[in-house]
Amino acid sequence: MAPDSDPTLTGLEYHVLLAVAPGPLHGYAIRDAVEADSRGVLNPRAGSLYRVIARLTSAGWLTETDAPDPGPHPGRERRYYALTPAGRGVLADEARRWKGAVALAEKRLGRRPS
Amino acid sequence: MNTLFRLLLRAYPRAFRERFGREVVDQAVEDCARAFRRSGLAGWSAVAATAVDLVVAGVAERWDPAWRVDDNGRTETGVGMMIERILRDLRHAGRTLRRAPGFTAATVGTLALALGANAGIFSIVDAVLLEPLPYPEPDRLVTIAASAPGSDFPDEFPVSAEFFVHYGEEARQLESLASFNSFTATVRTDDRVERMRMSMPSMSLFETLGVEPELGRLPREGEGGRVALISHSLWETWFGSDPEVLGRMVWMVNGPKEVVGVMPADFRFPQDQMAGWVPTEMTAGDITPGQFGMSLVGRMTPDADVESLRDELAVLARRLPELYGGSPAYARLIEAHVPVVRSATEALLGPVRTALQVLMAAVAVVLLIACANVANLFTVRAESRTRDLAVQRAMGADRGRLVGGLLSEAVVVAVAAGLLAVLLAAVALPLYVAAAPDGVPRIEDVHLSGRTVAFTALAALATALICGLVPALRGANADLGRLRDGTRGSTSRRAWGRNALVVTQTALALVLLVGSGLLLRSVHGLQSVDPGFDRSDILTFQYAPDQDHLIDGPTWARFHLDMMDRLRALPGVDAVGIVENVPMDEGTRGVEYFAQDRAADAEGGARGSLTFAGGDYFQAMGIEVLQGRPFTDDDALEPGHVVVSRSLAEALWPGEDPVGRRLSNSALDAWHEVVGVVDDVVQNDLRSPPDALAYYPLVGPEVDSWALGSPGYVVRSRRADGLMPEIRGLIREAAPEAPIYRIHTMEALLDRSTVQLRFTMLTLAVAAGLALILGAVGLYGVLSYVVGQRTREIGVRMALGAEAGRVRRMVVRQGVGVVAVGIVLGLAIAFLATGALSSLLYEVAAVDPWTFGAMAAVMGAVGALASWVPALRASRVDPIESMRDG
Repeated sequence: MAPDSDPTLTGLEYHVLLAVAPGPLHGYAIRDAVEADSRGVLNPRAGSLYRVIARLTSAGWLTETDAPDPGPHPGRERRYYALTPAGRGVLADEARRWKGAVALAEKRLGRRPS
Repeated sequence: MNTLFRLLLRAYPRAFRERFGREVVDQAVEDCARAFRRSGLAGWSAVAATAVDLVVAGVAERWDPAWRVDDNGRTETGVGMMIERILRDLRHAGRTLRRAPGFTAATVGTLALALGANAGIFSIVDAVLLEPLPYPEPDRLVTIAASAPGSDFPDEFPVSAEFFVHYGEEARQLESLASFNSFTATVRTDDRVERMRMSMPSMSLFETLGVEPELGRLPREGEGGRVALISHSLWETWFGSDPEVLGRMVWMVNGPKEVVGVMPADFRFPQDQMAGWVPTEMTAGDITPGQFGMSLVGRMTPDADVESLRDELAVLARRLPELYGGSPAYARLIEAHVPVVRSATEALLGPVRTALQVLMAAVAVVLLIACANVANLFTVRAESRTRDLAVQRAMGADRGRLVGGLLSEAVVVAVAAGLLAVLLAAVALPLYVAAAPDGVPRIEDVHLSGRTVAFTALAALATALICGLVPALRGANADLGRLRDGTRGSTSRRAWGRNALVVTQTALALVLLVGSGLLLRSVHGLQSVDPGFDRSDILTFQYAPDQDHLIDGPTWARFHLDMMDRLRALPGVDAVGIVENVPMDEGTRGVEYFAQDRAADAEGGARGSLTFAGGDYFQAMGIEVLQGRPFTDDDALEPGHVVVSRSLAEALWPGEDPVGRRLSNSALDAWHEVVGVVDDVVQNDLRSPPDALAYYPLVGPEVDSWALGSPGYVVRSRRADGLMPEIRGLIREAAPEAPIYRIHTMEALLDRSTVQLRFTMLTLAVAAGLALILGAVGLYGVLSYVVGQRTREIGVRMALGAEAGRVRRMVVRQGVGVVAVGIVLGLAIAFLATGALSSLLYEVAAVDPWTFGAMAAVMGAVGALASWVPALRASRVDPIESMRDG
């Protein structure tokens, strides 16, 4: 499976995992969270976003779950996506990698950690 | 929007679609809805961007799911990037156009009208001409008829039973062969009765066409004439789609039939609105050679083609007299016989094909004219921005980007026009189809299809290229030289380009004008044909009494004589008659007539039609009795007398008095005495000369001939329009079981016979009118622009003492000069193109000098008018103002 052989995440994949870290979200909420978390830099369109969700799901990092509570539109049930333990691990690894990279950059650029 | 996205979702692999499809669409729709809340432009560009993303991402997922989605949330391909850039150009173009609402409205409106007309006509062409017949491998289906060049038979006529049997047994290139017919007959259940379109085909019809019932089964051998298949719509309307209909007995055509199957809704052979099929079996003993009137449809073997099949059938037919006997005249006919084999598609659609092709060409021409107008507007607009563009180039913008930017505006205009056109077509198409005449096959299927939308999209893009590329390339060439000049004078090359547009428009509009003028003359010609009977104050209807005692000719005749007496007693009724085939409504049967005194010489025969009449038929119709007398009620009860039309009399007894002579025909074994000669009438088609016709009395040529007929009543009254309720009352008393149908005034029947031509003419006239207006607007636009450009020059001339009249003449002369070139070109094109119309024309040559001249004059007058307004403006130029502006 492609993601296993290539465990690095693209920015969007990272942000999608990050979006569901606090709790399960449905597709649209993921999109909004990604946009907010990236301060508007990431603004995925539906077709591409679901390709990412599909990839992360088949890698075993995301999973579908039931809605946490009945939504505001009863009868129009949406699928929710939650982080799996494996996904949580990958996200943490990635965050650690970023942290290391940031620390290194700050050191080389001569900035002190605040 | 939902539908669009769901359609585009098909780019994804199936598994993906099933899992995420609904969510993707929901989200896409939500995205666009949000964008629309910001502004219309943002909304539409979100629709476009989302649509593109769906396709690109879907294709990527299908080809190689390893293609990543980049950090902008777009699938990473070069195509995606390029499309993003194009979209950016388009968004920019959208904003620019919004700042020029007048320009945008004019261009979008013009193109939307023209594209809408194209979308509408294309929908009809698509459903009627392009959609393949709903049978498997329709290319192998052929219709087979006969012709006999050099004989007095029609150019093409149906075969007779021995052809069917012989071809079916011997033709090696036919996999299967079937006979069919179509007629109206009574359909009756316990609680309903109606006249409907029926067919009595051979048992093989369904196998030949390759169709199966949607419910029930096909008839089996030995069931011929006893079972029926009913149409989907009869099943729905009469039996509430009840599957229990199978096995029920329904009275059809001539007796009760057991329903064994229901045919699918799209099975409409041989024509629309079929109610049922009663397959029959033929036994070789039934065959009398030369009883022409049988239509054939066959399925060719996969390796056969129309030409080789025709050759094979020609050889087979030669042996018919040897196998089946027949008269010497029959043998002579077979010698001259050439089979007519046509692809079934062509045979079914041939008659309307020309009309539809003409209309399609006409709206395409309107679109070209609209393009020319819009291209011109874009050119003018690009010129006014020359300075802008020159600056952009000087600052290093590459030429491709500038062309792209300018082209984007044309694309935005064309796409908006395309959307509007589809809306227009969606609204107008049902109205247009409802107004379309009867007899256009498959017109019921016409709707705004995906193919029409695709066609409109393509047409819109082509339009964008035509309208945008010329000015875009020109604008992108803007150089610093022009910037330095600071002048805006038009170079002669540009003036030439604009004039060429006007010349093209004028020429094309004139071609359409000439075409509709020719059709107008044909319609007028057809409407002034004297049909041989009166137009007004005549009401016709048919009804089919079906009572047990009406078993022979005399009883049947007495029943109708009595009915006519009752009708005559109604207030305001002047005359009442009966005829088997009401003129202009139902066709007559063709037979061969022989005069008794010439019978020894079979050459003395004449082709003619056969009908029967009674009561005061000739008086009611206003048909003049030329010699002898019309029928009396006594004639009606006993066979023996006949009334002939003038042309039959002239054919059988040229220059002699026919009254008292005797004649017979090929369908008959008895001789009848001529008691009267009446004037010719047009029985079927105003375009063809009147039929030679013999009228037999009500009782029929033989005592048992007409026991099952359903005659047409003809009532002459000044109250023809309002008489029907009283007539219904009378009939309900006399024959409550009888359906009354085909109720028309003679006027309506005559109108109906020209409706198809009038409809084509009207549509073409609308197209021509549109073209004329667009052409005039184009000319007006160009001249206004030129006058605007030359304000300073005109000002100088006026300051130097030129009179206003002279200035006016100068401008008009320029306009009319260009129009004159267009007229000459248009006449030349029309000269070559109107031949396509010739099958529609009546008594007017395709190159009719009167029409050509009149339409050229109209075009010239409109051209002069369109030039006059700018000329007037030029003559009012104030010299001082013009200097100050410069």
